[in-house]
Amino acid sequence: MPASPLTIFGIRHHGPGSARSLCRALEALQPDILLVEGPPDADDLLPWVAHADLQPPVALLVYAAENPRQAVYYPFAVFSPEWQAIQYGLRRSLPVRFMDLPQGYQLSVSSEPVSVGGKPESEDQVSGKQEANGSLPPSLAPLSPDPLSPISLDPLRWIAETTGYSDPERFWEHLVEQRRQDRDLFAAILELMEALRQEVEQLPEASPPPAGEDIEACREAHMRQAIRAAQGEGFQRIAAVCGAWHAPALRPDHFPAKADAGRLKNLPRVKTAAAWVPWSYGRLAWESGYGAGLESPGWYDALWQAGENNLSPTEVTIRWMAQVAHLLRGEDLSASSAHVIEAVRLAESLAALRNRPLPGLPELNEATRAVFCFGDDLPLRLIREKLIVSERLGHVPAEAPMTPLHADLAAQQKRLRLPAEASFRDLDLDLRNPTDLGRSYLLHRLDILHIPWGQMQRLSGKSGTFHELWRLQWQPELAVRAVEASLWGNTVAEAAAAFIRHTAEQAEDLPALTGLVGGALLADLPDAVGALLARLDTAAALASDTGQLMDALPPLAEVLRYGNVRQTDTEMVAGVVGGLIARICVGLPAACASLNNDAAAEMFTRLMAVQRAVGLLQDPAHQQPWQATLATLADQAGLHGLLAGRACALLLEGHRFTAEEVSRRLGLALSTANEPAHAAAWVEGLLKGSGALLVHDDTLWQIIADWVAALPEETFTPLLPLLRRTFSTFTPPERRALGERARHGGQAPAAHRPSAADFDEGQAEAVLAVVGRLLGIQLTSEKTA
Amino acid sequence: MTDILREHAEQQFAAELHELAKSDTHSRPPRWQLSPWATATYLLGGRLENGFEVSPKYIGNRRLIEIAIATLATDRALLLIGVPGTAKSWVSEHLAAAISGDSTLIVQGTAGTSEEAIRYGWNYARLLAEGPSEAALVPGPVMNAMRQGQIARVEELTRIPSDVQDALITILSEKSLPVPELNSEVQALKGFNVIATANNRDKGVNELSSALKRRFNTVVLPTPETVDEEVEIVQRRVASLGRALELPAEAPAIEEIRRLVILFRELRAGVTTDGKTKLKSPSGTLSTAEAISVITHGLSLAAHFGDGRLRASDLAAGLVGAVIKDPVQDRLVWQEYLETVVKERNGWKDLYRASKDLG
Repeated sequence: MPASPLTIFGIRHHGPGSARSLCRALEALQPDILLVEGPPDADDLLPWVAHADLQPPVALLVYAAENPRQAVYYPFAVFSPEWQAIQYGLRRSLPVRFMDLPQGYQLSVSSEPVSVGGKPESEDQVSGKQEANGSLPPSLAPLSPDPLSPISLDPLRWIAETTGYSDPERFWEHLVEQRRQDRDLFAAILELMEALRQEVEQLPEASPPPAGEDIEACREAHMRQAIRAAQGEGFQRIAAVCGAWHAPALRPDHFPAKADAGRLKNLPRVKTAAAWVPWSYGRLAWESGYGAGLESPGWYDALWQAGENNLSPTEVTIRWMAQVAHLLRGEDLSASSAHVIEAVRLAESLAALRNRPLPGLPELNEATRAVFCFGDDLPLRLIREKLIVSERLGHVPAEAPMTPLHADLAAQQKRLRLPAEASFRDLDLDLRNPTDLGRSYLLHRLDILHIPWGQMQRLSGKSGTFHELWRLQWQPELAVRAVEASLWGNTVAEAAAAFIRHTAEQAEDLPALTGLVGGALLADLPDAVGALLARLDTAAALASDTGQLMDALPPLAEVLRYGNVRQTDTEMVAGVVGGLIARICVGLPAACASLNNDAAAEMFTRLMAVQRAVGLLQDPAHQQPWQATLATLADQAGLHGLLAGRACALLLEGHRFTAEEVSRRLGLALSTANEPAHAAAWVEGLLKGSGALLVHDDTLWQIIADWVAALPEETFTPLLPLLRRTFSTFTPPERRALGERARHGGQAPAAHRPSAADFDEGQAEAVLAVVGRLLGIQLTSEKTA
Repeated sequence: MTDILREHAEQQFAAELHELAKSDTHSRPPRWQLSPWATATYLLGGRLENGFEVSPKYIGNRRLIEIAIATLATDRALLLIGVPGTAKSWVSEHLAAAISGDSTLIVQGTAGTSEEAIRYGWNYARLLAEGPSEAALVPGPVMNAMRQGQIARVEELTRIPSDVQDALITILSEKSLPVPELNSEVQALKGFNVIATANNRDKGVNELSSALKRRFNTVVLPTPETVDEEVEIVQRRVASLGRALELPAEAPAIEEIRRLVILFRELRAGVTTDGKTKLKSPSGTLSTAEAISVITHGLSLAAHFGDGRLRASDLAAGLVGAVIKDPVQDRLVWQEYLETVVKERNGWKDLYRASKDLG
């Protein structure tokens, strides 16, 4: 074969070593056109790479124009070989093209599994797609998280591990440092990959061919076609940059052109759009579990910078340790230069013990832990966050094309007839109306994403349950926030759900989480509720404050009873609620011990809320332990009277205590041996807020009446003020009714006691239709049916 | 079998050390009996080229042992930290045995450890009769280690009062021990180093001064990583202890050990093994060593009062005592665990009932 005008550079995506040797190789080759593995859909966006304001890490986002939820991210960091290749091409005004199969085809072929939204695991999907730029078959990762073979997922890692390196980048570094002739290096990689591919092909067909195999063949065919096209245009020194795995398959003379053309014919295609979005190193690191997710972008960045500055390996170690010391000092942890010296020594002797030529990240971390952190993991976590992953955020110029989230927001604004206006506008939403409900959802979701377009106003007077009052004002910086929010997802709903999940992971205490659940319900984000519940369960287990547990229960019970969670989540909610109730039951007696008046009043409210929640659930499995706990409370010595009295009332209501029992306890509580204040609190607890109940409930009435009647005069007189105090909490009409009843010898007013005898069927029939309309159901009387 | 109740590591594993030294081809730091590589093999176990099987002394993370050995190969001192029962002293003894062939140069740290114990003492009869002289000097273990270029061990460093601890600073930084009374000093030979152990739970009792802390590389020995690992440790130890105590009961079924280990791990980690439910952790450490003692306790109950087979009720007695160290807080934790986890779990009903009966 004569000197081929084509040079293929098999690289490791996001490998600083790759990037460096690629730069040198390109410099030596002086190509006249650059073909880069990437979506041709985004060719128009390539010139932006030269823009001063486009600072990596950024991601190229390609999405189906009609359905932004179908999207693929191609993240780039400064140390990505592709990024460096594009930069090189643009600096020299060379033609630079993406040569991969356009995402228009890929999105249409694998439309279902690739879709990023509308699924609870959407977050994984988004990040799984990061692999689109990962070493290998991008479609493999999202389609089958459990990869077919570790070799094909990350061939370099596989080789590195086979040869005894823990880190492919170290292996790569080693390879690059030792060979100065970079073009030979890429030829060697080509050979290596060819051998590996043959190895994979010979693997026993244990598993059925992965779903993405077709796409793989198409992608490689398309890349070959792109190279052929460049050859046809007469370019003399073509440089093709692709993942190492693809390198052997890109030689056009090894494959018949006709077959390639045939393979690409008649592929379905969808319309796509592309945008640059800011990315973060944290997001590059996110999916370490997937294999091609980057574990240590910050470290790679450091390696890249070291290469830029021509540092020796020892200098890299020293510089890294110095950075560690600096970081720790910034956090007020002791880290002297002596520490740095010892850490460098330990890292180097560890590397020697493990037969490594120089310390890698594992050695550096272990040395850091032993020398700087005194074996403690906490500072190491800080180092991981700030140095190894690093918090670097990318930046995208404001004039770059709009992101899908922004587009989705614009579409929703149009659909809901809610234009973005710079002036104030008050909006009264009636949630029974679908459009208004949609508006409310949108505003709540934006609120979650910290895009405060609308401020919810306090409602006064009007029935608050189905009305919301908002004040809208659009400000230009909200557009910037919308771009920032696109980090979280491609539609407003998806981004809000992802953001809530993220916040939930950060939130520590129960009230914050319960608040988030409320927010997620208001914004109609059922996907996020699942994740929230899981966190809530965890937090509940660790919460030592029973009060917080009690506060968390009622909203969840309501979700379980009436809520709009999907069927699959119901079980989960039930699990969390069950756990909460069990923990409340265990912790309540201790939490109620020795409370002062204020604390007791607070606990009283909580007790009632839990009682309502338990009543709402109507599950004997919850009621039984709850009542047992109440019984324990009723017997607990030294319990505040308010709570003891209420426990008695609740147990009477639940038919656990008989009337005689309550009567006996009332007598005990009000006996003169007790502090008058305690006795008063007890009666208050028993009767508080139940004036109407006392009027109509014969049992309760009888208990009180019998007890009062049985009081000898010398006890009655001192007790009178206490009783008066309790009765003063009732409303005047209630008190009057009570008085009436007392005058009639304890008989409840007759009108309230209908019996079957004086029931007029005809009259009832007449009301039935109205009642039916009020309740929104069809009522038919038994006679007509 | 000797009549000695407990042999030193270098006595008990003399054959292994001998074989390792024979086949050790790597370079050795000055006065090391084995190379760092062979030392790692001695601790972690493995098969030598000639087919000799070295038993594992430490079951767990290889990297930790590597860090420890690399530390000793530089001239930094090694500090092993961990909750009680994580084999700190065990590792320190075996490291000293492998590196110096002598694990007996040991200072036991207590609240009453004096500076003489760390540096040197005097033979007072002689001191009074002859005045200060080399012959009247009684060297401590550290001084001996310095003279011979060996490893000295300091157990429970954080139990030692701070002012006494600081006697180590000169030894560790200058590698010399001045004897002002004789106007001389002892300079350490190459190969000298110190392995100290300290207890996590003693944190803050006698916190190391930062000057001293800076002279140690710290390795934290964790509780065992996986259930299988811990089951293996417990089983090995229970078997050897059972023999020593001559318990007539049957060896416990592996399931029983596994169940106990899972229970300990869940409470220790504060999360169930399936990772689904979070739990509160009791105040005790629930170390592997305690699991071992619960099993032996259960075995002796079963042997003397039961039918010789280890049952849930035999286990429960020791178990409740191991978990509930603080009568108020821990009892809540234990009850919550019983109700939310043990009660629901398949095949744990007997344990639930037995624990409930005990209250």
